[in-house]
Parts: sequence; structure tokens; C-alpha cells
Amino acid sequence: MFQINGKMLSVLAIATTLAGFSGGALGADKWVVNSDESAITFSATQLGAAFDGAFEAFSADIHFSPDDLAGSSVEVLIDIASVNTGNGDRDSQIVSPDWFDATQWPTAKFATKSFSQIAPGKYEAVADLTIRDVTREVSLPFDLEIDGNAADATGAVTINRTDFGVGQGQWTDTSQVSDPVTIKIEITAGRP
Amino acid sequence: MTLRSTKHAFGTVAKVFHWGMALLVISVFSIGWYMDFLPLGMEKLEWISRHKSLGVTVLALVTLRVIWRLSEPTPQELGTLKIERMAAKAGHLGLYLLMFAMPLTGWTMSSAANFPVSVFGLFTLPNLVSANQELFETLRTVHWLLSWGIAGLVGVHFLAALKHHFRDRDATLRRMLPGTIKEN
Repeated sequence: MFQINGKMLSVLAIATTLAGFSGGALGADKWVVNSDESAITFSATQLGAAFDGAFEAFSADIHFSPDDLAGSSVEVLIDIASVNTGNGDRDSQIVSPDWFDATQWPTAKFATKSFSQIAPGKYEAVADLTIRDVTREVSLPFDLEIDGNAADATGAVTINRTDFGVGQGQWTDTSQVSDPVTIKIEITAGRP
Repeated sequence: MTLRSTKHAFGTVAKVFHWGMALLVISVFSIGWYMDFLPLGMEKLEWISRHKSLGVTVLALVTLRVIWRLSEPTPQELGTLKIERMAAKAGHLGLYLLMFAMPLTGWTMSSAANFPVSVFGLFTLPNLVSANQELFETLRTVHWLLSWGIAGLVGVHFLAALKHHFRDRDATLRRMLPGTIKEN
């Protein structure tokens, strides 16, 4: 026999509440990236000298509302093969098995777990960053400016390439290609 | 022995510049060839680092050297024929130009490759041009051709010094050696 008792009711109540919260997550505003005005760049150091590069192809799934940080989420997929450091030889090295091994792991993923506000217009995202087969938690502080239905976000995070296995074998030595790499994001997005 | 050169003798500073840079240029040249043959790896990068740092040192020293040279008398060439003295002048001018051109083309090609030049890890030179693969490849060829140019001129310079010493028996070589010489 099927009977609704008190215990089941409370389970039902919790389930409804949870559903309500996840409904709230979907409720954070969806943003569409303007790829012409957005960039994911990085700065690394080789032979003691810093150089810049960019990952030119990436996609982002952004749900963000300043007043609903708990319900906000960002997932960015970066196409490793789109790397451009202004040097063809180096670019082909970067995607090779010793470095990113783009054939085996063609995309890097940045998926937020939580957001917090540090100051007005300043936030921090805690996210899982996956490069190759390594996932590590990173904190990305960023400035956000929302003007009507347009938003600009800029931020930077420094990671150690060897944490992610970028640079195998002899390249785990960081004397010629330094360990820290600063990733910079510059995202312009619109609310459709 | 004096610091400054006279119409007849090289001063200490000129001699130190001459032999110091001779050693340096030969080192940078040798490293350049050696690193080119290495397979891509840590060792190659280490040698490229040294090549660049020493190359920038050549550029700095040749600049100081030219300023110094212009500020003091230059001993006259000792050849008996006018054409011989002219050839010596032209050869020396060529060596100076190449001591500038080698590091400058190297620095520019590094810039075009977006491989900025660090000097012994102490500081980084600004890029002279923005990244440009085509320009990089052109400059790499120019740098390589000039390296033959400097090798050739240094060879002629060396042989000419021996010719003056052993055949003409004049002071050309001896007056560039340490110490003071009497006759000229």
C-alpha cells in the first residue's frame, strides 16, 4: 500500500527546496561572449625572457548575476591547437606530446565551483582547471563591469605549468622554460 | 704603457678591447654554429641563451669601443702600398660594421620570432619589431650570411697580421701585443 507519512513529506519538502535552488542556478543571467573583443592570453618565460601568447579559439557558457553568485557558473573550453605565440615553431612545440599533447587532450577546461565578491566590481572565482589529464583548483580574481546588457571582465591567474604536466621529460626542468605562467582573461559579453 | 693610443702605438684600452672582443666574437660565433646543430632540447636552449647574452655584450662593447676609438688618435697603417693601407682601413671598417650588424640582426630576428632577448637573466631587451614569421626567416638568413662575412673578414685580418709580421717584418702584430715596443 502506498501511504504518505510525515517522513515522506519532509523528504518531499527538501526535494522541492533543492529543485527550487537549482532552478535559481538556471536563473542567473546567461551571457554570450563577444569573441572579437575577448581574449585568453598568457605570459610565460623562456630563456629568462617573458613572451606573450594567446589561445584564439575558446567557447564559454556563462551564467552570472552579481546578486545570485551561488547560482552563477562559468565553463570555458579552450582549444589548445589555437595557440598563437607569434612563432610557428614554438606553437607546434606547444601542442606536441611533450607539452599539451593536443592530439590526446585537445581542450583545456575551466569550470567554476563558486564565486565571491571581494570588493565592489571585484570578484573571485574558484574553479577547476583541467589541462591535459590534470585537474586542479585555481582562484581567479577578476574585475567586472556591467553596463546595461554589456559586461567586461578582466582577470589573471598564475599557475605552475608543471602542476599540469605541461612540459614532460627534460622539460620538467624549469631553468630555461619557467614554471609560472600567467593566464589573462579579457571577456566582453552581452545579455541577449 | 699608456691607456690612450698615439699615432704610432696602441694604448692599453684599445688592446684590451681588441683581444677581449676577439675572444668574445669567436665564442659567440662558435656557440652560434654549435647550437644550430643541437636537437631541440634543454641543452640547445641553454646555448641559445648564452649566444644571445654574449651577443648583446658584443653590441655594448663595440659601442664603447667605437666611442673610445673616435676619442683618441689611431695608429697609422704600416703597409708600404697605398692600396694595402686602404684595404686595411676597409677591412677594419667592415669588422666594426659586422660587430654591430651581427647582434642587431640577432636581436631583431629574436623580436620577430617573439623570443625576447634576456641578457644573462638580468634584464630583457625590448622587442624591436612585432612578431612576424616572414621577417624572422629573412633575418635568420641575413644573420647566417653575415656570420660567414665576419668569419671571412676575421680570417683575412688574421692572415694579414701574419703577413705583416713574417713577410714585411713590421710592427703591425707586435704593437697590438701587450707591452711597449720601441720601433714602429
